[in-house]
Amino acid sequence: MIPFSSVSPLKILEKSSQGALGAGNLGVLIARAGVGKTACLIHIAFDKIFSQEKLVHVALEEGPEKVMSYYSVIYYDLLKALGITDDYEYRMRIERNRMILAYLNQSFDLDRLRNNLKNLAEGLQFTPDALIVDGLDFEKTDRKVFEGLKDIAQEAETEIWLSALSHRHITEVNDHGIPYPCSQIDDLFSLIVQLKAEPSGIFLSLLKDHDQPGFPDTHVRLDPNTFLAMV
Amino acid sequence: MNTIDNIRNIGISAHIDSGKTTLTERILYYTKRIFAIHEVRGKDGVGATMDSMELERERGITIASAATYCEWKGHRINIIDTPGHVDFTIEVERALRVMDGAVLILCAVGGVQSQSITVDRQMNRYEVPRIAFINKCDRSGANPRRVVRQLREKLNHNPVLLQLPIGLENQCKGVVDLVSMKAFYFEGRSGDEIRTDEIPADMRDQAGAAREALLDAASMYSDDLMEAILEDKVTEPLIRDAVRSGTISRELTPVFVGSAYKNIGVQPLLDAINSYLPSPLDVQNTALDLDQDERPVPLETDARKPVVALAFKLEVTPYGQLTYLRIYQGAIQKGADLMIIRTGKKIKVGRLVRMHADQMEDLTTAQAGDIVALFGIDCSSGDTFTDGTLHYSMSSMFVPEPVISLTISPQDNKSQDNMSKALNRFTREDPTFKSYVDSESGETIISGMGELHLDVYVERMKREFNADVTTGMPQVAYREAITRQAVFDYIHKKQTGGSGQFGRVAGFMAPSSEGTYEFINEIKGGAIPTEFVPAVDKGFRSCLEKGLLVRFPVLGMNITVNDGKAHSVDSSDMAFFQAAVGAFKQAYMKAKPVILEPIMKVTVEGPSEFQGNVMGAINQRRGIITSSIEDGAFTTIEAEVPLAEMFGYATTLRSLTQGKAEFTMEFSRYAKVPESLSEELKTTLREKSRGDKK
Repeated sequence: MIPFSSVSPLKILEKSSQGALGAGNLGVLIARAGVGKTACLIHIAFDKIFSQEKLVHVALEEGPEKVMSYYSVIYYDLLKALGITDDYEYRMRIERNRMILAYLNQSFDLDRLRNNLKNLAEGLQFTPDALIVDGLDFEKTDRKVFEGLKDIAQEAETEIWLSALSHRHITEVNDHGIPYPCSQIDDLFSLIVQLKAEPSGIFLSLLKDHDQPGFPDTHVRLDPNTFLAMV
Repeated sequence: MNTIDNIRNIGISAHIDSGKTTLTERILYYTKRIFAIHEVRGKDGVGATMDSMELERERGITIASAATYCEWKGHRINIIDTPGHVDFTIEVERALRVMDGAVLILCAVGGVQSQSITVDRQMNRYEVPRIAFINKCDRSGANPRRVVRQLREKLNHNPVLLQLPIGLENQCKGVVDLVSMKAFYFEGRSGDEIRTDEIPADMRDQAGAAREALLDAASMYSDDLMEAILEDKVTEPLIRDAVRSGTISRELTPVFVGSAYKNIGVQPLLDAINSYLPSPLDVQNTALDLDQDERPVPLETDARKPVVALAFKLEVTPYGQLTYLRIYQGAIQKGADLMIIRTGKKIKVGRLVRMHADQMEDLTTAQAGDIVALFGIDCSSGDTFTDGTLHYSMSSMFVPEPVISLTISPQDNKSQDNMSKALNRFTREDPTFKSYVDSESGETIISGMGELHLDVYVERMKREFNADVTTGMPQVAYREAITRQAVFDYIHKKQTGGSGQFGRVAGFMAPSSEGTYEFINEIKGGAIPTEFVPAVDKGFRSCLEKGLLVRFPVLGMNITVNDGKAHSVDSSDMAFFQAAVGAFKQAYMKAKPVILEPIMKVTVEGPSEFQGNVMGAINQRRGIITSSIEDGAFTTIEAEVPLAEMFGYATTLRSLTQGKAEFTMEFSRYAKVPESLSEELKTTLREKSRGDKK
């Protein structure tokens, strides 16, 4: 398998103290609308899937069809970028290692997620190494839900990546330099990554790195079309 | 009376057993199309009028979509009755295609069940506006408010009650109309006499609140109503117009209540069909212009334009084939010429009729927007008719591939003839049902969408066509494919007196990533004369019909021919055809063929508490679950499962979920049979093939 890390937005984590999020921890990508949170989360997902780790993608706004189409767009960009022609093995890995759980019309709650994960483990022997939770509205979500997610991450020995929507007009930043809407709950997250759109590309910066301060001034630049890291 | 504005083409669609046929029967009675009411499973043995097939009468279910019409208060209503069973999706889809609006019937006890969800999704696909009727309010456990909630939660509708039931269960007496704020009671032997009264005192507050909710919801679709509410000048027509506009834009679902069996609420539902569902003029239909690369072209519901009509249903009657047509544009006169676009054949309109279940009324003319039937026309279901000046086709309907087949054999000569007639009829009626004779075993094979689909046709063959037939075990449609390149160099030589046969074909075969067959001609210097090349191509092509591994069709390959040799006297088309067949046989096994099996996209819908059980059962069937969707109290699981593992799944699912979950499946793709199963399957299929040849 060709290593994806050379082009993956996850390159940002190479700079982190532990090189990864790690089981039992929560990580978050913060960005304004339309910058590419979902695309970056899917890159994180591919990194797991292709290294034979099991991934559950939790979608709170879209049905599985839409989610799969996001994956396939990014997948074909990856193949193109890496010059892969025979992709049978990659497709097999996606088939075997990815599960999409969609919660439509406010059906999401922690008990339901716990129960679904239990069913996956018991019925399919599918125990995820990572969860991607896309579409959770941080502004309307109580701190208890994030604490619950952290509990789930620890109980299931999995890492959970979330996406948070920030706004142009809210510039609130806490003492550690963590912006809204994560400024009040940053203690629950082990990694906090910010995405910013600039005219020359999209920049990722690590705002929190486990117990250490992040590297807000060190960036990884992404191609705004493919979200692949630019050298 | 006859303006297009007053036509309503509607479907009545719902879960099996929610009372669809009973409601239709009542509608026909109140509109004076029939003069007595017969129950679906009634003791009088006559059966409901819409179930025209004997089998349907016996089973108490509706299989084929019959069209019927009736008149109500100056409007002509064409009712397309749609089947409620999963295995008959093509019938549902075809019916949805020709209807402009629909009544979604829901059971006041059972509520929104999974089949309602499937049908509702199909209606969304065809953009059919609908109104809902909560039936069976007289039954024990009836709870219309819960059903309204389910409409919102499970089907994502924006439901609004236009009526309230007066009493529930055995106290159900009538309905309160929230537009006129009156109570309606249905009296007389068959509920013919409607008595209008004041709203019962104990319901006034409840009705007031429900009317407020109605006005709130309806005012979103009408500024006039919004203003009238502010000025306290609300009128009935203002409410109706607003509800109509919300309904047609599919943003609002007006909800009506009643009990068809107890004759409660049917006439107001007919009023609602007139008031709220669209006329053909409210719906935009398009056709594909075949002269312009199938560019979509809008059709105009205008009798003066050239004719465009779609045959959506065929039925056999004692007098010949009956073809149900929806006229989208223009007008059809008795005696006029029409062209069937698919075949280019011209036909003359002999008898033009309007159908009422299995009775008919002769017409001289019919216009755009109407649903009529033609007699004695030789065509297939889904055919487009025009007057010959337009080369349009109605956009192709989604026809899934058949996935299951079984052998069928007649018991005697008479049955043989009858079986042929039946098969001929069914294949025209239903594009998902196919039949052919296997050239090797000589057996007749039928194929379709599922076990029940084929079962029903076998039953119909016995009952309607008097064909005594026996069937074999269901068989999965396997395929073969090669996995590597292999060369061939074959000489076909035969000299048995007279002119001989000679041909040499050389080249290689290679797997096709698209699963298609491609013949690549790289012959240099006329090694094979040009006139024989098509015979070589044909020879290879013929070999794809039956692979050499397990004698199933080969799913494409690329054949490159780069050398060969001909003889000036002994070479012929036949010789090169045979040479290609020989070359194929020489190379095929070297190209490491494998067996491919159909993989089905399976969707299981059921209450969330069964998610674990359903997942486990799919996993045991070599299925791969791709997603699970939580929506309200329901879970939908999507998976890919080999068809070979799906036999008997309906029974398993029923017992796993206490009958509360349902599934649909459709063909997804072909995939290689896993190594662990491949050897065993090869042995079984080879043995079967040997048995067939004997």
